[in-house]
Amino acid sequence: MTNDDTMIAMLERQAARRRDRRSFFRVAGSAAVAAGGLSLLTACNGNDGTTPVPAPSPTPTPTATPASTDQKILNFALNLEYLEASFYAYAVYGEGLSSGNMMGTGTQGTVTGGRQVNFTDPLVAQYAREIAQDEVEHVNFLRAALGSAAVAIPSIDISASGAFTAAARAAGVVDANTTFDPYASDENFLLGAYIFEDVGVTAYKGAAPLITNATYLDAAAGILAAEAYHAGLVRTVLYRKGIDASALITAANKISDARDSLDGASDDDQGLTIMANGQTMANIVPTDSNGIAFSRTVEQVHNIAYLTANAASKGGFFPNGTNNPDPAFTMSGDSSTY
Amino acid sequence: MNDTSQQLVDALDARAERRNSRRDFFRNALGAAAVAGMGMSALGWSSSAAAADVTDADVLNFALNLEYLEAQFYAYATTGAGLPQSMLGGQGTQGQVTPGHAVPFSDPAVRSYAMEIAGDELAHVNFLRTALGSAAIAMPALDLGYGPNSAFSVAARAAGLIGANQAFDPYANDENFLLGAFIFEDVGVTAYHGGATLLTNKTYLEAAAGILAVEAYHAAIVRTTLYAKGMDTASLLTAADAISNARDSLDGASDDDQGISPVSVNGGTASNIVPLDSNGLAYERTSQQVHNIAYLTPDAASKGGFFPNGTNNPNSALTVSGDSSTY
Repeated sequence: MTNDDTMIAMLERQAARRRDRRSFFRVAGSAAVAAGGLSLLTACNGNDGTTPVPAPSPTPTPTATPASTDQKILNFALNLEYLEASFYAYAVYGEGLSSGNMMGTGTQGTVTGGRQVNFTDPLVAQYAREIAQDEVEHVNFLRAALGSAAVAIPSIDISASGAFTAAARAAGVVDANTTFDPYASDENFLLGAYIFEDVGVTAYKGAAPLITNATYLDAAAGILAAEAYHAGLVRTVLYRKGIDASALITAANKISDARDSLDGASDDDQGLTIMANGQTMANIVPTDSNGIAFSRTVEQVHNIAYLTANAASKGGFFPNGTNNPDPAFTMSGDSSTY
Repeated sequence: MNDTSQQLVDALDARAERRNSRRDFFRNALGAAAVAGMGMSALGWSSSAAAADVTDADVLNFALNLEYLEAQFYAYATTGAGLPQSMLGGQGTQGQVTPGHAVPFSDPAVRSYAMEIAGDELAHVNFLRTALGSAAIAMPALDLGYGPNSAFSVAARAAGLIGANQAFDPYANDENFLLGAFIFEDVGVTAYHGGATLLTNKTYLEAAAGILAVEAYHAAIVRTTLYAKGMDTASLLTAADAISNARDSLDGASDDDQGISPVSVNGGTASNIVPLDSNGLAYERTSQQVHNIAYLTPDAASKGGFFPNGTNNPNSALTVSGDSSTY
C-alpha cells in the first residue's frame, strides 16, 4: 500500500466511522453560532419549565437559599459519581463509600449488591484500584464544593441480579434467562465499567456549557478529562483483550448500541470497532465527524441510568431516582421526542 | 487493615504518595476567595495580556497550532506523508514541516490506534479551521524530524533517554512511536483544560470540552498501552516517567504532570494511567506553560523546539513561553 493509499484509507475510515453523525456546523456553526447556545439551553429550559412552584408555607419560616443552577448541575454529577464510586469501591475493596461520604440533602438511600471482584489479571486489578480512587475523590470533591447543598447518596442498585443484568439483557449481551454478574471475572468487570464510563463523559460535556461559575466550570472540565481517561483506559483494555476473545468486543458494541437506543434518535455512542475498507479497525474514542466527543442532556443520561427510553423519575441503577433539589434534574425524558 | 471504609476515608492521604504537593483547589478557588481565585488564574493564563483581551478566536488559534503539530505527527507516522496543502493556509506565515516517516508498526493494535488518533487529529484541524473561518492561522513551521538535532531528540535528551550525540526516532518502532505520542497527548489535555474557561461563546466552549475529552481518550490509549507493554519492558515505564518529569521541570514549579509507573494506593498496587491532582481533577497549563514544553525551554521565548519559528497567533501574547522560575 502506498502512502497516498494509506492516507486515503485513513480518511475513508474516518468517514465510515462517523457516517450520519450530526454536523456541528449544520447545527451550531457559522451564522448560527450565537444561536447554538440556545440548543444547549433548551435541554435545561425544558426542565426549568417543569420546575414545581414551591408550596406556600403556612407560617413564615427562614427561607433556604434556592439552589442555583450550578448546584443542580453539580448535584446531578454527584449522583453519577456516587454510582461509579460505589461500583468500583465494591469491585476493589468489597465495601462501599464510608458513611460520612453519603449524607446530605434529600433522602439517603442504600447501595445494594456490590461485591469484590477476584481479579485474575493483575493489570486489571491495578486499573480498577486506580479508577476507584479517582471516583472516590470525585465524590469527595463535589461534596466539598457543594458543602451543605450536597445531596445524599440515593438508593443505588449495583447488584448482579438487578440493574446490571437488566442492562445486559436489554443489550443482548446475555439472554433473557441469564444473569450478568459484573463482579464474576475481569472481563465482566470491564464490561460493567464500560456501561458507565462513556456516559460520564457525555454527561459532563453536556452540562459544562450550563455552568455559570468559571471555577466550577474549570473543575468540571477537569473531571470530564478524568472520565475520558478512564473510558479510554477501559476501552483500550477491552479492545486489546478482544483481539483474542472477540465476544468481548461484540458485547461492548451491543452495550453501546443499547445506550444509543435508550437515549433517543441522536447518534451519540459508538462501540469499540468499525469496519473500513474491509478491515476491522479500533474505535477507542467515540466521536462525531469533527473528532469531538458526544454530549448528553440530563434527561438522556437518566434514560440510560434508569434503563428506560421513556419519561421516568426512577429505575435501573437508581431504584428511587437520583437526588436533586430540582426534580427536573432527576428525570429521564421521552426519548421519542429527541 | 480490615476496615476498608476507613481505607477509603484515608484515600486522600494515600493519594499523597502519588500526588503530593498538589495545589489545593479549595484553598485557591472556593469559599470566600472563589471569585478572586478564579480571576487570577484566568489572568495567569496569559499574564502579558489581560484575560479580557484574549478573544475566543485567539484561544482557538492557540489550540489550532497544537492540532497542526499532532495531526502532522500522526499523519507522518501512519502514512509517511503530511497533511494536504489545502489544510495548511491561513493568517500569519505558513511554515514548512521537517518531516517524519512512516512507522514500521509490528503490533497491529498499535497501528490501529495510530490510525484512529491520526483521523481524530485531522478532524480537529478541519474543525478548528472551519470554526475560525478566515481568522484561522496558517500552519507554523514544525520540527517533526528524527535526527540528532531534532526537537524529538532534544526532548528525549532532556529527559535523559539518549546521550549527547544520539538521535531519538519516534518513527523507528512501536515503542518509540508511543513515547513520541506520549510527549504530546497529556499536554493537549492540560492546554484545552487551561483554555476552556477563557472561551465566552458557549458553543465553542462545548466543542472545546469535546476536544478536551478526545485528547484525554487519546492520552489514555497511549498511557494504557505503554503501561501494559511496560510490564515486559520496564524501560518503557522509566522512559515515560522521565518524559513526564522533563515536562514538569520545563513548565515551572507547579506539579502538573505524572508518569505511568505503578503507585501504592490503600496498601495495594495501582496503575497511574490518569494524571490527576488530589481532587481527582486533570491538570491544566497556561498558554505560557504549554509553550515552555512545545519550545522545550523553561525560559521566556518566542520560538524553539517543535515550533522553530514560533506558533502563529494574531495575539502575540499567546505565542510565547514564560520564565518558568516565576510560576
